[in-house]
Amino acid sequence: MAAISIRNVSRRFGDTWALRPVDLEIADGEFVALVGPSGCGKTTLLRIVADLQAPTGGEVRIGPDPAAEARRKRLIGLVSQRPAVLPWKRAIDDVRFTQKIAGRVGFDPAKVLREFGLEGHEGKRARELSGGMLQRVNIASAMAHDPSVLLMDEPFAALDEMKREEIGAWFDRELALRPKTVLFVTHHIDEAVMLADRLVVFSAAPGRVLEVVAVPEPRPRAPAFRQDPRFVALAGHVRALLIDRAEAA
Amino acid sequence: MADAVLAPEESRSPSGAGRLPRLLWTALRVAAPVGSVLALWYLAIWFSGLPAFVIPLPTRVLEALWVDHAFIFDNLLYTLQVAGIGYLWANIAGIGLAVLFDLLPPTRHLLMPAAITLRNVPYIALISVLVLAFGDTIASKSAIVALAGFFPVLVNTMQGLRAADDVQLDRMRILNAGWWQTFSRVRLIYALPAIVAAQEITGSSSIIVAIAAEWMISTTGLGYVINHAMQNYRGDQVYAVALVATGLSFLVYSLVHALGRRLDWRAGDPRRG
Repeated sequence: MAAISIRNVSRRFGDTWALRPVDLEIADGEFVALVGPSGCGKTTLLRIVADLQAPTGGEVRIGPDPAAEARRKRLIGLVSQRPAVLPWKRAIDDVRFTQKIAGRVGFDPAKVLREFGLEGHEGKRARELSGGMLQRVNIASAMAHDPSVLLMDEPFAALDEMKREEIGAWFDRELALRPKTVLFVTHHIDEAVMLADRLVVFSAAPGRVLEVVAVPEPRPRAPAFRQDPRFVALAGHVRALLIDRAEAA
Repeated sequence: MADAVLAPEESRSPSGAGRLPRLLWTALRVAAPVGSVLALWYLAIWFSGLPAFVIPLPTRVLEALWVDHAFIFDNLLYTLQVAGIGYLWANIAGIGLAVLFDLLPPTRHLLMPAAITLRNVPYIALISVLVLAFGDTIASKSAIVALAGFFPVLVNTMQGLRAADDVQLDRMRILNAGWWQTFSRVRLIYALPAIVAAQEITGSSSIIVAIAAEWMISTTGLGYVINHAMQNYRGDQVYAVALVATGLSFLVYSLVHALGRRLDWRAGDPRRG
């Protein structure tokens, strides 16, 4: 059974389509990136999968459960672009906070923060952490109740290019240790090719799926993959899909 | 403000060598406002030519405070009771209504116009009605204090409850948190700075409004002492009460402010000036 299945899901605001009907099956442990220009509806689709927004039509299932039921069972983890770490909590307490609210302890917070490279920073509050560290705490908090799927909305967009590559590579290795099914929204093509098993390429608004591109390279991927001709060809193909469309429009 | 004044001092004297200037500085900070008020007071006496029962000498006021301290203290306790009960009700009504509006949004459209109307009815008219209803009791006077104080609490709490970041609310929703969990663990804490700011207004004004209410209708309390003193041409006693009331309002303000700094999760954030 698919970990996430999106069947004919669409969203309309009045007469305006935010998202044309989308079909997508995501396998257990798969990493799927939704790529497309701003306003193409990829965040809308992510929020529908998270049951934070209702679709106009269609249905989302997480495993056997409808999205709303999966949310009630706390099977979803959400990582937003702006960290949702509570500003008055120390990093470790914020991770514990997720476990307390969810009523489920996915892992030992101290151990995971150490693994996440945050040793010595567990007692710091959001304002005392750098952008990259804060996003690591944010990811730890989002995973702390051991959700079966992780929904990520441009999680590294606020970081500079070098930090972004660094945290991307780190996250790739982390996922190898704790496999999760990931749905990842980004407008950064290289990041998507570097991290994902498949890219779902969206057209500009109103969003519809242009093509699903597979990245046939096992994860985690070495930084050298960026220079690999297959990487360059795939990224070039996706770029052409998006740019040609944008120019034709 | 106080921090801004202290900041250069702290950076100038990190070691023991700077202790004396620091002590002098602190003494100056206390002496300057007291000295300037006293100087203005004496100038007013000398240049206005008004009689002593209109502007008594500061020493005369202190003497009245000393001689009549039992009488003033008894009435002060009564005023504190009126102010305290009113203040409590102002908060129960203000915070309670804000939470109700949040929980059941339609109630806001039903009750907010009434709250605004109540806020804008002249207090003198309200006092008259309350005296007719309850007589000269603590209830009628604390009701005035509550009516005068609840609105800033209501408005600030409503505003504060909207301060939580959307990403935090999404996080709570994803974790299937209930209304109460989201309210008590996230939204209320985001709202605290705004609620504390309202206490600075309502807390100190409670004392002043209580005295005003007593001045109009009561036979006890500091307001009554002022009335009594006026009838007996005891300007010194009026000034003594004013001194006590001002000191008390200032004390309440400072206490609330200090408590607020402890409750405010933003305190110590270098990005806040």
